[in-house]
Amino acid sequence: MNDDYSSKWGYRLKWLYTLLVVTTLMLPVFFVMYISFNENGFGARDYDFTFEWYGLIFSDLLMMDAITSTLILSAITVIFVVPMGLITAKLYKITQYPLTVVSLMLSPLFVPSDILGAALLVFFKNLNGAFTLFGEWVGVSWFDTWFDLGYFSAIVGLIIYTLPYVFVVILITMGRYRKEQTEAARSCGATAWQAFWHVEFPQIKAGIFSSCAFTLILCFNEYTRTSLLKGGFDTFTTVLVSQMLNEGMSEQSYAMSSLVSYIAIAIIGSVIIFTLVRSERLERIARAKAEPLMAS
Amino acid sequence: MSKKNEIAVEVKGLSKSYGPVQAVKSIDLQIGMGEYFALLGPSGGGKTTLLRLIGGFIRPTEGQVFLHNQEVSHLPPNARPTSMVFQSFALFPHMTVVQNVGYGLRLKKVASAEIKDKVANMLKTVGLDGYGERMPHELSGGQQQRVQLARSFVLETDILLLDEPLAALDANLRRDMCIELKRLQEKIGMTFIHVTHNQEEAMTVADNMAIIADGILVEMGKSSDLYENPIRRFTADFIGENNIFDGQVSKIEDDVIHVDLGSSSIAVLSRGQKTSVGDKVSVSVRSELARAIDTSTSSTEPLEILSGVHRESVYLGLTTSELITLDNGQEVLARRVSDRYGGHTISNGTSIKVGWRQQDGRLHIS
Repeated sequence: MNDDYSSKWGYRLKWLYTLLVVTTLMLPVFFVMYISFNENGFGARDYDFTFEWYGLIFSDLLMMDAITSTLILSAITVIFVVPMGLITAKLYKITQYPLTVVSLMLSPLFVPSDILGAALLVFFKNLNGAFTLFGEWVGVSWFDTWFDLGYFSAIVGLIIYTLPYVFVVILITMGRYRKEQTEAARSCGATAWQAFWHVEFPQIKAGIFSSCAFTLILCFNEYTRTSLLKGGFDTFTTVLVSQMLNEGMSEQSYAMSSLVSYIAIAIIGSVIIFTLVRSERLERIARAKAEPLMAS
Repeated sequence: MSKKNEIAVEVKGLSKSYGPVQAVKSIDLQIGMGEYFALLGPSGGGKTTLLRLIGGFIRPTEGQVFLHNQEVSHLPPNARPTSMVFQSFALFPHMTVVQNVGYGLRLKKVASAEIKDKVANMLKTVGLDGYGERMPHELSGGQQQRVQLARSFVLETDILLLDEPLAALDANLRRDMCIELKRLQEKIGMTFIHVTHNQEEAMTVADNMAIIADGILVEMGKSSDLYENPIRRFTADFIGENNIFDGQVSKIEDDVIHVDLGSSSIAVLSRGQKTSVGDKVSVSVRSELARAIDTSTSSTEPLEILSGVHRESVYLGLTTSELITLDNGQEVLARRVSDRYGGHTISNGTSIKVGWRQQDGRLHIS
């Protein structure tokens, strides 16, 4: 608290409120973790601690296939969507029409997910039909299943879903980057790619890696578009939802959900701790080297 | 046209438009090798645009750029024999000073040992020996500027472009860096093209300069010529502190042009400039050549005289400026070295005359 005139209690209440919000958000996650160690499963009166369900994760083929499918979809989506978001963010920085770029990029966010999913479903069905007809007319069968519902259509849906977020995350990181540095690199003899890779990328890589992580999380979380555009119940979320609707979630599902949460929290927590420690170390070094600000 | 042995930079009919706005309008310019050349002008006049056109950072709408007689208009910055120093320092914040300075050499795939030697020598040249492992944010403004210079010098390109390199520095540091830049340029022998809106800076460093305003090249020449004998009215108005009188030619007597100011008339030497009776012209007089004269005093030499009222004396240490309002309402400035008259002061509101020698006036027909 730096402002001498601010209320001490106001400051404490703000912190309390923040902790309350975080607790509310994370409590369901912690509860799932708590259930995952219960031998008697969800809703049981008695609580017997066990690691049994974690041990059974890898033998649950349905769950393992779902995780694998989800990871494949996520990885492919990341490979396409992050460069697309980066290129669009760079376009935003140089265009004379930034508002147009932003409007176009964020427009998918204003369409509800089920409507977007349904629209894409109709689009791909019609596209597939058109190409099949074309193939018949030409006398080949190459085009028959090009746009069938499956991995390809699901990936397109995931790209449309995640692209606005990737664009915003990268754009925020690029906010601090000055284009004079690219020009300075070019004047040192760098090509456009070298200037990006040597000078710009190191400064925006936090945003790029964040958008990769964010895309992975969004893909894991995604249900509507994936189920409409791919069908079946073979991704992480669709399996969980299917279990919930039909037979109730298996104990391995709670264990798997908790495991995914542990990994996510561990990765993000490590990054935060590393960043704080590194920042503290750099500040200490800078203070040790600091000289009075005089003309040289 | 300026030549120093051979021409390093030439632009022909160079123009740049952004939609309806013409930032640079058909400029022709030559800069000699090894020259320190300044592009001086008011903000928004097109000097930086011209510099960036020479550097390849923007494409011209029309015209050509030649570097060492090779046309480079189509080439990007990395393919031109130029390097650039920016107003905002533009150091790479994630690299140390050594890495910043050596960046261009690494791109050229110079051997590591050679890079190390060259960088060390260059840091010594710019007075930053021992600062190699520092990060840019640990340096002062002047130090950052020196790193930028070192990064450009080490590449041994022929032409260095400087875009308001001292604008971000305080006045004292700017003055010191001007002299330092001049010293470095003379030592290394590169062609410098320095953009600034600061007259003092341009006149300190430049061998020759061009006045750029409203996208056009107004006038070009040695700093002393532009200061003492400006041809264009704009130059007289922009450089130095000149009094400018607008009027109409009323009489021409051989080399002497009489100019009617409305309520009075003054005479000026034509110096070969062609005018006719009735032409609208301007006459400029440097404020240090104009004298405030008591109405009761008669001058010992023939002077051009205008009458007015003394408004204020402004003491600036070395000089004292007398602000005078003429009978037609125009304000003029007469400057003198402060101690010349032993502390003589003129009371405000006193009727006064302002005079100058005929040969100290400059005629401007445009």
